[in-house]
Amino acid sequence: MSAHRALNRFGLGARPDESRADADPRGWLESQLASEPERRPTPEGTEDPGSLLRAQLAASRTGDEAETREVRRRIGAHVTADAVDGLTARVAADRPFLERWVAFWSNHLCVGAGAKVPTRLLAGAYEREAIRPFVLGPFETLLLEATRHPAMITYLDNVRSVGPDSPAARRRGRRADTPVGLNENHARELLELHTLGVDGGYGQDDVRELARILTGWTVSGLGGAVGALRGEANGRAAFSFEPLVHDPGEKTVLGRRYAESGVAEGEQVIRDLARHPSTARFLATKLVRHFVADDPPAAAVDRLAGRFTETEGNLREVAREVIHLEEAWAPDHLKFRTPQDWLVAVLRGLGLRQAPPTLLGVLRDLRQPLWSPASPKGFDDTTDVWADPDGLLNRAEFARTVARTVSRRSRVDDPVRLAALVEREAGDPLHAILRDDAVATDERVALAFADPRFQWR
Amino acid sequence: MTIDRRTFLHATGMCFGGVATFGFPTVQFASVPEPGRLVFVLLRGGFDGLAALVPVGDPEYADLRAGMAFEPGDLFGLDGTFGLAPGLEPLREFWDAGEMVALHAMAIPFRTRSHFDGQAVLETGLGRPEGSADGWLNRLLQVMEGERSGIAVAAGMPRSLIGSYPVSTWSPAELGAVDDAYLDRLHLLYRSDPRLFNRFEAAVQQRDRVGDESMGEGGGRNADVGELFRAAARLIRTEAGPNVAALELSGWDTHANQGLVGGPLDRLLGRLAEGLVAFRDEMQERWSDTTVVVMTEFGRTARPNGTRGTDHGTAGAGFVLGPRVAGGRVVADWPGLADRQLYEGRDLHPTLDTRAVLKGIVRGAFDLTAGQADRVFPDSVGVRGRVDLMA
Repeated sequence: MSAHRALNRFGLGARPDESRADADPRGWLESQLASEPERRPTPEGTEDPGSLLRAQLAASRTGDEAETREVRRRIGAHVTADAVDGLTARVAADRPFLERWVAFWSNHLCVGAGAKVPTRLLAGAYEREAIRPFVLGPFETLLLEATRHPAMITYLDNVRSVGPDSPAARRRGRRADTPVGLNENHARELLELHTLGVDGGYGQDDVRELARILTGWTVSGLGGAVGALRGEANGRAAFSFEPLVHDPGEKTVLGRRYAESGVAEGEQVIRDLARHPSTARFLATKLVRHFVADDPPAAAVDRLAGRFTETEGNLREVAREVIHLEEAWAPDHLKFRTPQDWLVAVLRGLGLRQAPPTLLGVLRDLRQPLWSPASPKGFDDTTDVWADPDGLLNRAEFARTVARTVSRRSRVDDPVRLAALVEREAGDPLHAILRDDAVATDERVALAFADPRFQWR
Repeated sequence: MTIDRRTFLHATGMCFGGVATFGFPTVQFASVPEPGRLVFVLLRGGFDGLAALVPVGDPEYADLRAGMAFEPGDLFGLDGTFGLAPGLEPLREFWDAGEMVALHAMAIPFRTRSHFDGQAVLETGLGRPEGSADGWLNRLLQVMEGERSGIAVAAGMPRSLIGSYPVSTWSPAELGAVDDAYLDRLHLLYRSDPRLFNRFEAAVQQRDRVGDESMGEGGGRNADVGELFRAAARLIRTEAGPNVAALELSGWDTHANQGLVGGPLDRLLGRLAEGLVAFRDEMQERWSDTTVVVMTEFGRTARPNGTRGTDHGTAGAGFVLGPRVAGGRVVADWPGLADRQLYEGRDLHPTLDTRAVLKGIVRGAFDLTAGQADRVFPDSVGVRGRVDLMA
């Protein structure tokens, strides 16, 4: 029972051979926090996003059809290779709780890979570079790395934001047809979604002042809008601070004054936002909703927020506290698997260690394409959003398809073994069906994954 | 040929005994008026009302939108003040037929510039983002009488339809064929899960009802907006089809490079307008009692931002379409675009409450009493429904 919780509630679903959680479920989870998440190298088949963008710009300039097709193919190959690698990290994980922890923060500080080409090209790099190495450190470091990553800066339009009083604006202001000024998008989502939460105590003036502070936080080496602004389009896509577009002068956010200090203003305000009590509360609520229940029990939220504050946002300590929340182990709290959770659990249940590229399309059909939430809020993880009738039927249909495929390749010789994937109960109808030789093997495999109890974790 | 609902259902093998078992209300056959159909189209992301239903006649408009202002000649003029953006030109068919009310300076009752709070208020129909998790479309199904059902044609269950009344969902995904024996065994397994059983049943019924409804020629996940609307119409127009449907389109959050004629926003508006026309055509004779409401969570800043786009604002525009609307007019208590007339000096000032619009429409579409409409929008007892929007 607790082993089942450890593998599913905190992990990514059991493998048929997985039994390490049996003896000491909490200890097994805690042991995963002992060292940093595995670093993942740039996957084979990806290219430098900057060169791909430059190739795309060049092709659109010449208008050559063959060249355009070829660039589109290279971009597609890059995006697929990145996403397959990202999904494989979860399917193959030997420390599945840690991998869930990475996925949580990747979604909390999400970039939408569907939105813009530069962001799409950088989404894989974003999780590898800005999320994965920092999920067990101080939250402020994670937040800073996420905020300054080129994927985020392009996604939330900060790359375009120009200080109204910046030297660049003054120079361009003489040409009336070129509007230059603030873009509030990144500042607003930093306050509302990444730190304080919508009721966290900020107002429109804070949004605007934060937007002023973030002016100049841009990307070099991507070409396009940024390159045009700086008159360059070469080199690797990387964060750069551009004083020419930074809005000068003192700014005030949440009553605190930030003297003009270039990029350091932004770093300071991010540290302050990361340590704000509203942030502790907001993140604790989200974590409890993710690991415990759709309606987060208040006591669990209090405990987690308290731990976050005491440790100044030490995420390793917060993760440890999550493991020890009694509510997370209570049998009356159920969490419905999101499509990504479910699909990864199916692959792990089949004993696979590699995500096949075709599954990226399946994730789209199940409405949760990897790294492509519809908005910067990221994907929801509540029952009402995902357990809709059509979604359940889609899972049943996909389970049938995948079972036909794997049984042809005889990956699952005995469906009875899959009984271990759902909690045992006396007189369980699934267990009876799995033992029924009159039902075709592949159908029994499908039923194990389509079973309602496999939808919960 | 006319065929009554009972005959149709028996003919297609759907028996009401089964339906009642699965949590649907008891069905009464006698004296149930032919129910109308209401389609709620939510444009997620806060579309720029000033670039869609353009107040080109407002003396401040051109200056306010400098660099991003339409010329009067670009627009399809509706009255002396407002014109439709070029992309929305297909909507003139509705306008000319008296089947369209355009709404402006409209907003949810809660002041926020958060997409997510805005959508929560619009979809729950409440006065604040917290409170009941039920959506107003689900509450509408709860208060309606007689047979009725709801469907989401959307990516996941939209908040507007979440609630205690069982509803179905449909999406164009085709993930593989399943046979009845498999579904029967699965049915047995779902029987032991009270939280999911009704939803699973609704899905199987929906599948039986529409068979292999597909996205048509465009097919599958790459299907365009028009195909989505056409498929929705095919689901809704059937005799046993849903009375209430939710559709949604995203991509309206235009922080940069909105563009003008033929620009990125105009192209999106164009796809929407063509989708709405396709929907009407595909509804065939069922269009006669169908009403479509198009809304968004908020409008955007009155002035362009520094990147030829707009940021999150307050009041915006919307549309109500259908033969039963009192159409051919713009409904707006226009607040003006001068600096002092803007909300907080930056947004179009709200003068029309979305709930007043929605209450008026549900009353007209389903012949509800004011009391029933108040139960659909429980925080709005003091807000009078705009019953004048429906003929």
